[in-house]
Amino acid sequence: MAKPAVVLIGADKGGVGKTTVARTLLDYFTAHQVRVRAFDTEVPRGTLKRFHPDTTEIVDINLVPDQMKIFDTLQEGDASVTLIDVRAGLMSPTLRALRDIGFIDAAKKGQLTFVVFHILGPSIASLDEIAETAAYLGDARYFMVKNFINNTHFFEWDEATHSSYFKRIKDAVEITIPKLSEMATEQVELASVPFVTFIANKKRNGDPANNSFVLRGYVRHWLGNIWAEYDRIGVTEIVRPKEAASGDPVGRPRPIMRIAEAAS
Amino acid sequence: MLTRTYQAPADTGSTRARHGASRRSAPLYVICSPQRCVGKTLLARLLAEFHLIDDRPVTAFDLADEGPQLADYLPGCTTIADISDAPGQMALFDRIVADRQTAKIIDLSHRTFKDFFTIAEKIGFFAEARRQGIEPLILFMIDPGPKSAKAYTILRRWFNEASLLPVRNQLVAKGIPYCAAFPNESAVSVSLEIPVLGASLKTLVGQQSFSFARFWRATPVSLPVRLDDELRAWIKRVFLQFREIELWLMCEDILSSLK
Repeated sequence: MAKPAVVLIGADKGGVGKTTVARTLLDYFTAHQVRVRAFDTEVPRGTLKRFHPDTTEIVDINLVPDQMKIFDTLQEGDASVTLIDVRAGLMSPTLRALRDIGFIDAAKKGQLTFVVFHILGPSIASLDEIAETAAYLGDARYFMVKNFINNTHFFEWDEATHSSYFKRIKDAVEITIPKLSEMATEQVELASVPFVTFIANKKRNGDPANNSFVLRGYVRHWLGNIWAEYDRIGVTEIVRPKEAASGDPVGRPRPIMRIAEAAS
Repeated sequence: MLTRTYQAPADTGSTRARHGASRRSAPLYVICSPQRCVGKTLLARLLAEFHLIDDRPVTAFDLADEGPQLADYLPGCTTIADISDAPGQMALFDRIVADRQTAKIIDLSHRTFKDFFTIAEKIGFFAEARRQGIEPLILFMIDPGPKSAKAYTILRRWFNEASLLPVRNQLVAKGIPYCAAFPNESAVSVSLEIPVLGASLKTLVGQQSFSFARFWRATPVSLPVRLDDELRAWIKRVFLQFREIELWLMCEDILSSLK
């Protein structure tokens, strides 16, 4: 049995693009044949569930039964990766709960792989979040995500201040999500399908859609850049170390169009 | 003054026979240069009217931002395009890839050169055009400046899916060796040249009311025979090169249908 992996995507601040990053990761895992299940903690109506209804379940991470639903089943079923899209404000409480139930210790012992994508906002509050988060991470693989999709200006940051916070987490890696054309973002929202399905010009049921070629091109280009970031940090190797060696080549340009058509 | 009146030619080549045939791919001509005043709009007019002479469908897109521009000469078949925002880009690129029956011509101004090709590269425009059965040909007006040579090199590197053809306007690029800075590495082995036109004819064809198609069908009554002959020979020489491109496209279609 492969070691289970838990990928946590969160931030204490709202509107920084957590679900967008979760969606790009789900598409990435699907394209790389990584079996994944997702939990959307935005109760009662989750955004992630709207885009990925087949792989996503809505849970209330504050409730013990729902925590059991996630963490007691890590080694059950087909999925080797569990992705959790943590609702705004619940990042620190969730990490605390994971520490309390011994999850962080299990990761330290190498019984499972724990990956955190911390989506940062431009304010100093985000830096405080880093400091707070550091206390719970243990041996997690920690990625700080600068998400430019909603036109965030990180240049407001003072570099020295940023570095002082950044260094508090050992082996932290910074990744960047570029901006996507507003019109393209809106159209994917309206279509309510995964990014790869939109690129392949398909509807949820597989029928041909009538999406703009230009907007599909922008989404493909944008998603390609994000996947290149995931390749750079070696996401597939982290979540399935043995299989990655024989899996898809990473760090090389991929025919996203073919992947999109195959995946949708 | 001696004048002549011409009837429209019964057939200006093999076009009519082919027109009704089930041709797979319609060409997309992108006429470009990073420099101004090198003859881009003249070439776009000639290409558009080359189709209009045979009543073949053609759509032109004018991305120029200074007059006289293509839309001034051919308002009936020209759409003014603006690619500065997403709706404008959708209006241009989506329309082009959606129509595989009509020959399309883009007259690209030197100011929109960089933006156009950056967007085209980002959205995979030429690859999508190919997938839709549209044959993209980039007609690059060459000139002696280093800026053009550099731009040509970048286009060669970026766009494997399109045929990049250097076009020599003898008025601005006489004597530049093709093979040095502007090699034609596409499968279309046609060397395009716009010959020099005499000063008085240059003035005539520069008038917005002038139409190559109308001239071809009937000489203006006021034009002397010598000038009529000169202009007619000039047009024939240019159109023959367009025919060579079309012949190549036909061969490609036949070869691909045999595979």
